Amino acid sequence: MRGRLAKYSLWQFRDFFMQHGIGIAVIGLLWGYTLLAPLRAAMSVQSTVIPMGPGSPMWNLVLQITSVVVSLSVLIAMNGIVSTDRKSGYYRFLFSKPINRVLYYTQMFFVYMVGVILIMALLSSLLRIILPSFNVAYFLLYAALVYIAMGGIGFLLSVSTRYDWLTLAAVWLGSRTLRAIYSGPQAGWKGKAVQLLPPVHRLDDVANSLIGTGSAHLPDVVWLVGYGAVCFVIGLVILRYGSLAD
Amino acid sequence: MVCLSPAGDPAHAAAVVIEFKNVGKIYKSLLGNSVQAVEEFSLSVRDGEILGIAGPNGAGKSTLISLMLGYLRPTTGAVEIGGMPARDYVEQNGIGYLSELISINPRWKAESALVRYATLAGISDNEIPRRVQYVIELLGLEEHRDKKVKALSKGNLQRLGLAQALLRDERILVLDEPTHGLDPVWTQRFRDIVGDLRRPDRTMLIASHNLDELQRLADRVAIIDRGRLQRVVSTTYEAAAPATTRFRLTLASGFDLVTAAFPNAEEVGKGEYDVTVQSITDLNTSLVNLIGRGALIASVVPERSVLEQQFREAVGEPR
Repeated sequence: MRGRLAKYSLWQFRDFFMQHGIGIAVIGLLWGYTLLAPLRAAMSVQSTVIPMGPGSPMWNLVLQITSVVVSLSVLIAMNGIVSTDRKSGYYRFLFSKPINRVLYYTQMFFVYMVGVILIMALLSSLLRIILPSFNVAYFLLYAALVYIAMGGIGFLLSVSTRYDWLTLAAVWLGSRTLRAIYSGPQAGWKGKAVQLLPPVHRLDDVANSLIGTGSAHLPDVVWLVGYGAVCFVIGLVILRYGSLAD
Repeated sequence: MVCLSPAGDPAHAAAVVIEFKNVGKIYKSLLGNSVQAVEEFSLSVRDGEILGIAGPNGAGKSTLISLMLGYLRPTTGAVEIGGMPARDYVEQNGIGYLSELISINPRWKAESALVRYATLAGISDNEIPRRVQYVIELLGLEEHRDKKVKALSKGNLQRLGLAQALLRDERILVLDEPTHGLDPVWTQRFRDIVGDLRRPDRTMLIASHNLDELQRLADRVAIIDRGRLQRVVSTTYEAAAPATTRFRLTLASGFDLVTAAFPNAEEVGKGEYDVTVQSITDLNTSLVNLIGRGALIASVVPERSVLEQQFREAVGEPR
């Protein structure tokens, strides 16, 4: 008799909501409110909606806020996705049952993705109330892309380290910084080495075009999704052939 | 005394279910330090057998169990269950496992934790309420079913851990320090439960520091120390044939008759005497003699159990 992993996805979704989802929603609401409300007041907007369009300063601010909220959400969602079970020893009872650990964590990764997308849908729908030109579908497409790109790296770090969210934040910010420092032909071997880091520098352009128009430069998307997907698969390989116990 | 060689097998015909084949495990740190946790460990466990695993702290008991469940990969050798690599077996069939450290998400409620584990164990939706109710009643968790795991006492958590191991009618049960944290009443209850679980087609491994417990429950006990199998001991007195054994007699009456039946008896007070005999047969002959003279015997207890004697020989005095 094999374990009923698909049925267990409902429990995984519940865990996501209780342990990550509420936090993501609260942070998203607070972040959006504290940045947008004063601006709206400063612009002396009398109506309930803020007029804006792609390319305007307000639009750029909204882009920055929403893309930061997405990145933070993925960071929170990935926090401990595998490492908590290892650190806390929860794996002992889970994987004495007739289930495949690779499938278990693959399912968990995608259940969490659904959770992140649903919360992003909720937040962006609220945002649309005051910014009618904001396209929820485009934004969700961007959220899914970032989840794969950043979440894949986070998954790999969660499989291989105990301090996954910290290392993910360091990798994410470190990549941006190092790529900015060592860019151009004068960077030499360092410039080539930083090409191995996550292609986070492509995110700004992708965010701008994807959230604004629903389309993006394909090579950028392939780089981002491909990098995350490769990291995710490496994480699964480590889970398959590595040890769960320390 | 049956004292088998490290790789030896008992002389019964049941099929081998679990096999450790020259297993070694080395832990390596990032700094290059290494610790040999298990070394050249070979042992077969047969269908229907209850095998005890005994050893001092840090002997490698829990590492062996982690290797068996596929949580660790052996550095050398292999562990097979039912002729398959251990991890493949566990992923396909599952094992009833109670770990030494009970690690269940503290936010979960006791009953919902069991429902989750039952789902992962493959029990159908129709069957889950019945199985969960069964283990809750069996382990006396009725009044704790709605409590969060973090609110459970050590003993209740241990019982919840055992409950999840018994959710399914597993063919293999692995219990690591199963009575750790249980009070005397539940320790005895646990022993009764394990007794009831014994079946010709069910194999059990019990790792414990408690030699008395293993003496009562196990058919054989593997004694390990410093990651090596020192010896495998049968726990039955029928098989034991000690050259000299000491017993403690407790008499209700007829104290002055003891030396007539046991010339070397040493009085230790409160009607208790230590006697040394050459064999179990000698012991029984002398006891018949003593009873025949009119003494009333309250108890006869070996100074050290067969297992304790063997354990001390294999491992030495406590370090």
